Amino acid sequence: MRSLSKKKGDMYYAVMLTIPALVLALLFIFIPIVDSVIKSFQEYKVRNIIAGLPGEWNDFENYKNIFISGSLPTAIANTFTFVVIVILCQFILGMALALVLNSNVRFARFFRSIMMTPWVVPTVISALIWMWLFQPQYGLVKYFVQLFSGGEVTDFAMLNNPDTALMGVSIAALWKQIPLMTLLLLAGLQNVPQDILEAATIDGAGSLRKFFSITLPYLSPVVKVSISMSIIENFKQFPLFWTMTGGGPDGATTNLAILSYREAFVSMNMGSGAAVTTIWMALMIITIGVYNKLFRTQDMS
Amino acid sequence: MKKLLVFAAITLMVMANVFAGGSGETSEATADSPVTLKVANYALLESGYEDFWAGVKEGFEAKYPQYKIEWVTAPYGEILNQVINMAGGGDRVDVIFGEESWVPQLYSSGLAAPVTSIVDEAFVSDFDPAVMDVFTIDGDIYGIPLYVSPFILYYNTELFEQAGLDPANPPKTYDEMLAAAEKLSQLTDANGNKVYAFGQTTASVVVSGNALISMIYNFGGNVFTEDGQLDVDNEGFRQAFEMLQLLDEKGYNPQNAKLKDLRNLFALGQLAMYYDQSWGFNGVSSINPDAASFTASAAPLAGGNGTGEAVLCSHCFIVVDNGEARNAATNAFVQYVISEEVLNDYMTNITPAYPAKNSMADMEAVVNSGVLKGASESISNVRKVPYVSAMSDISLDLCTLAQAVTVSDTPVDEAIDAFVRSASVKL
Repeated sequence: MRSLSKKKGDMYYAVMLTIPALVLALLFIFIPIVDSVIKSFQEYKVRNIIAGLPGEWNDFENYKNIFISGSLPTAIANTFTFVVIVILCQFILGMALALVLNSNVRFARFFRSIMMTPWVVPTVISALIWMWLFQPQYGLVKYFVQLFSGGEVTDFAMLNNPDTALMGVSIAALWKQIPLMTLLLLAGLQNVPQDILEAATIDGAGSLRKFFSITLPYLSPVVKVSISMSIIENFKQFPLFWTMTGGGPDGATTNLAILSYREAFVSMNMGSGAAVTTIWMALMIITIGVYNKLFRTQDMS
Repeated sequence: MKKLLVFAAITLMVMANVFAGGSGETSEATADSPVTLKVANYALLESGYEDFWAGVKEGFEAKYPQYKIEWVTAPYGEILNQVINMAGGGDRVDVIFGEESWVPQLYSSGLAAPVTSIVDEAFVSDFDPAVMDVFTIDGDIYGIPLYVSPFILYYNTELFEQAGLDPANPPKTYDEMLAAAEKLSQLTDANGNKVYAFGQTTASVVVSGNALISMIYNFGGNVFTEDGQLDVDNEGFRQAFEMLQLLDEKGYNPQNAKLKDLRNLFALGQLAMYYDQSWGFNGVSSINPDAASFTASAAPLAGGNGTGEAVLCSHCFIVVDNGEARNAATNAFVQYVISEEVLNDYMTNITPAYPAKNSMADMEAVVNSGVLKGASESISNVRKVPYVSAMSDISLDLCTLAQAVTVSDTPVDEAIDAFVRSASVKL
């Protein structure tokens, strides 16, 4: 038997190791995505699933209907508004917390452990907690608003007002997600070379200059990954919205996830749900692509 | 080759055994080899109902040792998807415990079977024909109710007295309600909290949409034509949403509230009147065990040219055809549960409601129910919601319309236009 060269052997070995992952990705990611895109062009309802009937091409009817109903533009606007608000606040607050915890403050380790609590709470539970806090008749937030406004504001109901409901869900999302962002940034901060920071200090650089010229560039790979993760997480946010507001009031918190769920599992119209999902996926790919293009990481070595 | 043939033969034998146990069972059930009846039931996950359903299982299996019950559970909002996903995988439940508003979805999915094809016709014929009409699609009945209730008006007799109103004479029209609400809204509870005068659910959940349809019917309005097309260009439809807007402007109605929020406020004495299904009282009494002492009911209010007609709600069984043996078990189960013997305690202590079966009309739970007495006439003033397969989604659109005219202050005509745009593509 002819033996393989070392290079070829390594290559075959690498291919063999990659095959299970490729097969799994093909079966559970690529094929369902393609299937969903195909169904988005078909009349495909629950009856098709139960009776095992194939879908029928319906002349872009699913796409036409979600545009005609007027629900899609609002859902897209709500999705992007939510993503931008949450990511901006999350990054600023997460960075502030990470800098504090990285500055040898007393009990830093204790705070780091406590701080992670919201992250481990299941999302639906977080939503229920915040619903109670925002409850319009006996919620804690209403009580504090009444207290601090000297009794001027007695009917503060964040989730009932279309102007503030999205903010209410964003606060719940921030409460849950800031710990992870802080932890990732803290890990990045601990890898910023101290000798360079010390050299800059000797050269007379101030704290702000050191932060923007040394810390932030060194942090950029971590920032890029953590913000990418956050974009995806919030782009597909469903449980917080569904539990806290169900997409209301007056559609103010209907994002693409809620719209897709309503089309597929409330209307029981899988084709229409797939159409929303296809648009949603395309928007997410474009967003992440633009983000990656804009925030190319610098090679600090 | 020999090994291959042996392997193929064994595989065939194994597969034959596996598929022989499929859904189309026809062999006779015995106590030694009982037929398993799969019942989808969200109520098992809700506090207050587990004991009743555990008792049903125990009692049914003792009476019919040839049948066994296997519960399929999921939370209320997920049970339909659970049942449909299971059916998609070839595992069909036999009975679904649900609400009449689920019937269109299960019918259009092809899962619901005509009740009379599984349950004895003699048993079905004992039900009030007007009630069964609610479950009828294209001439066949697709659900059988355990008990029924329209959206009735619950009111707090103590708050009525405090406001100088006669608790024995609750309002009968929306105008009378507004006059009473003016006095009731001046009250505060013992802790100084505001008392809301009138509650109508408008939050984004399907049951709120049903409650809104009921309110439209109160005004004599329509939502759909008989053949399930949108029919909202009528005074009653418009007046219902104008009333919601007025209630909101005056601060009488808690904004964007779910039924459970209204039950909560009512139980705490912070809501004087509200619309609910009769069994909503269970939610009230679970928060305030003394609620029966101040709770009374009245028929739905009449508004505009309407007579106070309402939507009939029910908890019902929807049955699935799974072959002769399992259908026989379903037949026995349905008849076992919908009986005075099983439901009397339940309807007395847990779920106050009106029976749909004529022979149960005089049962103790109904005759002696102080909470239900005031609204008992309303059962004969109900209207059927025509069959619309996208009913659940349109119910949510109605909630959005109600929210638009209340929390968003959108003019009623503009909000109705947006509703029509959204709902018409779903029909």
